[in-house]
Amino acid sequence: MTATLPDLLAGLAEEEAARVLALGRHSTLPAGGVLFNLGDAAESLFVVERGRIALTLPMQVRGKEQDVLIEERGAGQALGWSALVPPHRFTLKAAALVDSEVVALPRIALSEHLSAHPAVGYVVTRNVSTVVGQRLSLFQTMWLREMQRVVELSQA
Amino acid sequence: MEMFMMAAVMSLLGVAVCAVLFAAATRGERVEAPRPAEQLARAPQRFFASAPGSAPGGEPAKVPAEELVPVEALLLQIEQHIRLEQAAAESFLHTPTGQSLQSRTTSRLVN
Repeated sequence: MTATLPDLLAGLAEEEAARVLALGRHSTLPAGGVLFNLGDAAESLFVVERGRIALTLPMQVRGKEQDVLIEERGAGQALGWSALVPPHRFTLKAAALVDSEVVALPRIALSEHLSAHPAVGYVVTRNVSTVVGQRLSLFQTMWLREMQRVVELSQA
Repeated sequence: MEMFMMAAVMSLLGVAVCAVLFAAATRGERVEAPRPAEQLARAPQRFFASAPGSAPGGEPAKVPAEELVPVEALLLQIEQHIRLEQAAAESFLHTPTGQSLQSRTTSRLVN
């Protein structure tokens, strides 16, 4: 049954996962609805139940700020890790690509629950670390590839 | 006689409506079109007329990039570039070698 658990709760027993999800509040987002903006206080961590959420960053394109898609999150995937990591500010913007449903897990309630249940806290923290670590490696590689291009351009 | 008068009045009315619509449709164009004197003042003087779409020096006219690629298409290209770069980075992380780190993508932004 753990295969159906959200990535945030992978490895937890079903009842433990249910207790974590029970801390959350279900909400629906119409297509185009904004879940959070860049720089907002990260008061909740979100698990996508249905639909697709776009994570974007602002980029200046022809003198106008445009949201550029960085990643998409779908059903079973979590987003808004900033809620667990100081300084608790979102570093991306999240908006629904289609009608979507998410569970919003409040930061404080989640932290208290994880502190009260260290075994659950360990599994969740390990899941978060895995995703954060993978993303760090990925973006480090992308940054290095861009640097290589900058070097090539500077020598051209 | 009444029928004739009615047909004549309807025809005149139709012509009037057409004239008003034509005037309204062509008003904007008239304002935007530069007068011949202005065109002469803007274009550098030269003996031979250049081919349509050519710059004065004989080179092809430089069309601003904004006109070539609409901003929506440019955004799609950027997103495509990011996806390709992510895939290339994932490929490197799966098999880390110097070659896979610098592998080329088909992104139009860098080719």
